[in-house]
Amino acid sequence: MTRRNFASRAAGPLLLGVPTLFLLALFVVPLASMVVLSFWRTENYHIVQDWNVGNYVTLATGGAYVTFLIRSLVMATVVSVVSVAVAWPVSYAIILYGGRYRLLFTLAFAVPFLTGEVLRVIALQGLLGPLGLINGVLMALGAAPLRFIMYTNVASAIGLVYLYLPIVVTVIYLSLLNFDARLIDAAKIFGASPLRAFFEVTWPLNLFGTLIGFALCFIPCLSATLAPRFLGGPNGTLYGMAMAQQFGESGTWALGAAMGVVLFLTSILAVLAIGMRVNLRRTGFTGFGRG
Amino acid sequence: MRGRLAKATTRYALLATLALSYLFLYLPILHIGLAAFSKNANFPYPPRWTLDTFGRLFGNSLYQGAFLNSLVLGIGAGALSTLLAAAATLGLMRHAGRRTGLFLTLFVAPLFVAEVLVGIASLIFNGLFLELQGNLVSAILANAVHCFSYALLIMATQLYRYDWRLDDAAMVFGASPLRTFFEVTLPLIWPGLLGAFIVTFIMAFNNLEISFYLLGATPTLPSVAWGALRYGVKPELYALATAVNLVVVLGLGIMFVLMLTGKAAFGHRPERERAV
Repeated sequence: MTRRNFASRAAGPLLLGVPTLFLLALFVVPLASMVVLSFWRTENYHIVQDWNVGNYVTLATGGAYVTFLIRSLVMATVVSVVSVAVAWPVSYAIILYGGRYRLLFTLAFAVPFLTGEVLRVIALQGLLGPLGLINGVLMALGAAPLRFIMYTNVASAIGLVYLYLPIVVTVIYLSLLNFDARLIDAAKIFGASPLRAFFEVTWPLNLFGTLIGFALCFIPCLSATLAPRFLGGPNGTLYGMAMAQQFGESGTWALGAAMGVVLFLTSILAVLAIGMRVNLRRTGFTGFGRG
Repeated sequence: MRGRLAKATTRYALLATLALSYLFLYLPILHIGLAAFSKNANFPYPPRWTLDTFGRLFGNSLYQGAFLNSLVLGIGAGALSTLLAAAATLGLMRHAGRRTGLFLTLFVAPLFVAEVLVGIASLIFNGLFLELQGNLVSAILANAVHCFSYALLIMATQLYRYDWRLDDAAMVFGASPLRTFFEVTLPLIWPGLLGAFIVTFIMAFNNLEISFYLLGATPTLPSVAWGALRYGVKPELYALATAVNLVVVLGLGIMFVLMLTGKAAFGHRPERERAV
């Protein structure tokens, strides 16, 4: 009996403790070491351990980095807004007309998401590139190729929507799936027009899911490295891509770490700014599995 | 009358958006799929069929080694993150009590940190503070961090409606906690575990943004593809992407068939869907 008591008392700390330790050791501590490194400096590919804020001064005064960050913020905002705007009708259509094949429709969105960023960037090159499908069709018809989709910021934006639309659709779909559609009927019975029912019932009750979808698109877009590199062209350098270069060609790890800290703080601020707008109770959140 | 017209318009607008989105997602995939199977790879309309590209791809020893490494990476990170996420989900639901919010925040935090940051931070920690060279193990561990949160979410949606009274019943009749887990809990939650493993395996298999910084000199499929992409797109890359796409479609197809035939219920329990 004592052994069994011990076993059931040990289960909780063990089940929660092991994942917690795992995340502390492999997630929190590495992020902390990035913060430490950002206050050191790099000299001739060597890390020098003297504490200074030189990296941050470089980031704030070297105009290029500020430009990259602003460009990334604009890009991430545009891409996330477009993705949410497309994902809403898509998930709504799946919920309304999907019937018993709803899950298949949603899985069909997950297939491209799961094939990895590199392979999808390859596929995008097949669509947008100079020898890609769109320009191939145009040239086969005897028209001039479209310049604005080859190695421009527009191409990057199309690419990022392509990369992250699936996850936004999945999140909003899940939100709508857990939403009790009878509430709409109730609103309509009491005389609300479909439009009013949508904006006063459906939208606010799914706001939480929508914002999570927005955040899960915004954050990876903010730090995108692959899409701008292969689709963006000369004026398309984004912040994440510049950061990755510090760890590759230029070898300035300390500056890269500082860029990482700025990126991390920017994403946290964005998530908080989004999170502030949500009143969990009003969005129908009922807790985690305890009803 | 006006209402019916508005309704029909909404319906067609929604369905059109849906169709266009699928077209947008799948057009590139189908295009490079056709290109991979044809001699005129740049503009395969109409295609002149060939399997040469795949022959070159599968005969290339670089891609073969990279494929094996990716497989190890995917299985390692998938298994590790699924196991940890299963423990975390059970812990959260049964044992966290008032600290649920705290643990949940920590557990889903990796979702809100960009992959490339996880990669860079792990690189700094391993390379600078532990002075370890990158290899498959460090890549597996770092990928498992990112996959863990996804696995947790998948498991949580599966276990959301799990009836814990079944466990209590087994315990009341004298089963030990371990025996209860293996004879009651596990048989009921395995579809969730399998679903989480399949998804995290595919994610880690195809990951570049984390793996890139931690692999050292070990090639994986995405890193080899990335290296080749820098020198322009070649038909081999189309073939590679097509092969991976086919495998992913196959995996999700198996999941779907299992679900349709009722062999496994990946969180989809029609009889309980309407219950409030």
